[in-house]
Amino acid sequence: MSLPCGTRNYSYAEDMAILRTKTHWVFFIGFLALLYASPLYLGNYWLGVVNLIGITLVAATGLNILVGYCGQLSIGHAGFIALGAYTSAIVTNRMELPFLVGLIAAGLVAGVVGLIFGLPSIRVKGFYLAITTIAAQFIILWVINHWDSVTGGFVGIRAPYPSIAGFEFRTETSQFFLITTVAVITVFFAKNLARTRVGRAFIAVRDNDLAAEVMGINLLFYKLLAFFIGCFMAGIAGSLLAHWIGFINAEHFSLKESILYIGMIIIGGLGTTVGPIFGVVLIRLLQQTLTVQVVPFLEGTFDMMPSGFATGITPMLFGLVIILFLILEPRGLAHRWALFKAAYRLWPFSY
Amino acid sequence: MKNKKIVFVMVTLVLMLALAPALTACGTGSTEGKTLKVGMTTPSSGPAAEKGAPMGHANLDAFEYINNELGGVKGYQVEVIWLDNAYDASKVATNVKRFMDEGAILFGTASSAMMSASMEIANRAEFPGIASFNAPILHRPPEHIYGQMPDYGDDWAAFARYYMDNIWEGTGKPRMALHLLNNSTGYGARDAAKAAADELGIEIISIDEHKADTQSEMDSLTRIKASNPDVLYISSTPAPTALILKNAYELGMYPGVTIGLGHAGITKALVDIAGADITEGVYGVFPTVNWGDNVSGMAKMTEYVRKLHPKDEGNMDYITSWAQSLIFAEVLRVAVENAGYDALVKGNVDSWRAVETQGIQKLKDYDVGGLHGPVSYTAGDNRLSKSVRIFQIKGGAITPITDWIEAPLVKYEQFDWFAK
Repeated sequence: MSLPCGTRNYSYAEDMAILRTKTHWVFFIGFLALLYASPLYLGNYWLGVVNLIGITLVAATGLNILVGYCGQLSIGHAGFIALGAYTSAIVTNRMELPFLVGLIAAGLVAGVVGLIFGLPSIRVKGFYLAITTIAAQFIILWVINHWDSVTGGFVGIRAPYPSIAGFEFRTETSQFFLITTVAVITVFFAKNLARTRVGRAFIAVRDNDLAAEVMGINLLFYKLLAFFIGCFMAGIAGSLLAHWIGFINAEHFSLKESILYIGMIIIGGLGTTVGPIFGVVLIRLLQQTLTVQVVPFLEGTFDMMPSGFATGITPMLFGLVIILFLILEPRGLAHRWALFKAAYRLWPFSY
Repeated sequence: MKNKKIVFVMVTLVLMLALAPALTACGTGSTEGKTLKVGMTTPSSGPAAEKGAPMGHANLDAFEYINNELGGVKGYQVEVIWLDNAYDASKVATNVKRFMDEGAILFGTASSAMMSASMEIANRAEFPGIASFNAPILHRPPEHIYGQMPDYGDDWAAFARYYMDNIWEGTGKPRMALHLLNNSTGYGARDAAKAAADELGIEIISIDEHKADTQSEMDSLTRIKASNPDVLYISSTPAPTALILKNAYELGMYPGVTIGLGHAGITKALVDIAGADITEGVYGVFPTVNWGDNVSGMAKMTEYVRKLHPKDEGNMDYITSWAQSLIFAEVLRVAVENAGYDALVKGNVDSWRAVETQGIQKLKDYDVGGLHGPVSYTAGDNRLSKSVRIFQIKGGAITPITDWIEAPLVKYEQFDWFAK
């Protein structure tokens, strides 16, 4: 079997294909098969972790489109996730409408509210835009906490099992298939969006919005579109989260979560499709490792240390990882992956 | 070149650390010997660490006592799976799933907020849990989550009754302001006030909320002061409670207004943070005894805290969690007696049902060494202990001023406004 070396496309379709060789297809199909076969070899806990990764990936992909592709810094993403979660819970619990209606409504409500809070992006950018998105988070959570009659206020609201066409997703396994399918569709959408006119407009706006405007790109339209798409995906993630946990309140969507999402896409690699995947998987697995293994191990082993000393390691290590990546590998794990692929293609030649 | 090496090593280490759990993903860990597994999750880091850390210590210390000195439960060692949840909802959700996967047959949380984040997961799976700190939303309507002690609404009702019977000397209705933590801790008190204030003859003039990491409540207290309250009730954790007391002191509201606290706030940590002078005369409700009280369980608990976690001596939350572990042991003992070890050790839904129906629901007048009120299950009421005492802070010491008061059951789900 010959390995690909250089560019050898004989048609436009081949040139534009995401999976360009049979090897790619084999690996891709094999990966999907392995992924969808997870319930056969993972217990409930690890399926739960995978579900959490899937939900986080949907939200992180949306944030990556907004921040990584379009360059609009948003540190209020958890607020939009909360909006989606509450919308879906209200639609399915209080209005007793089907889950799919709740899911779509969650995305639309979060997207429309994202449009409103995206309006300042026309006039401000960078740090100043980040402040407005932080304000968005606090405003959304304040409304959720004080609209008692609809949201349950500070206490929270229940979300029933998701169900589609009479089939109720009661088990972790069934929810895994639902969440993973939505995550795959989201990543596929993001990958193709980046290759379209819209994606190229986003990149142009990110790289130099003045030059983009001079070239004829409508800044208002594309910035707001980026906010809508990013927040729509956050809403979808929120809906999945609400029905996965079963009970939500505003405490689940703190500013710390928003900052964590920014950290995920930075570590993974901004402006790439695989970046959010790497970032989300790394951060969520790191959380589980620290909580489940490292902290209990350290607490049990180092008796001479003050009790509870190890519980502070988690936030310290997170901060350290983000700082190290920003300093040493600002382009994230996706860049390392790209270097690996490039080296592999040329192997055993170094040039 | 050196930079590339550093980056390569760093990325490799981080990936190894993150992917390490995948190596143990297939199947559950094996345990030698006959044990009974329980899960415990406490917020030992994060915004509620001042409560969660001593509670986690107490849980583990009590189980060490149970295993080493009592020989476990009916001869079976109790294996505790303890996980920190950092007061994070997504963490507690995965923690509870890990408990279920690891074969735990019962789980416990410290905070009501963390139990509310996991209760649907547990209720759906029929996995029984016991929350140290309770709130109406956890056990109304009753399912598979039990409250170790009366909830935050019971605190308010008990304090309100005591205030009307012993402190209020005016005519008409006293004016009460509520200052509540913005989660189930605070809103448990709010729901009880909404349900019972009229009946008790109290006028609720304002309900304000605050966050666990609040930095100042001068604005809200200024508004409350302008409303001329007779009593201020605070249902919150020690750090924000201390801040509110300090702000009230600075505004000249206190001394003057009677201040009552729910049991989440009136602990040694409050006196340490706010200071003995500011907390002097503050009332509080707590469902356990105080350190040094002459009860049968005090000596052993004191011995262990001095041996293992001396800094936690004097902390009321330590007593709560120590008692929680004793209740766990009693539940397991009764369940083993009624259902047998083999039924419990499977660690699946059959075991969980057995623990609940043959263990928890068979509890009758269990004495937790006198550390809090007797523990009994009553059908339709998932509060295992229903008694509280009123305390007052005098000279920096939290001193009991009443005997045990039984908190009545309020069926909140009958009210339209109760959380759906």
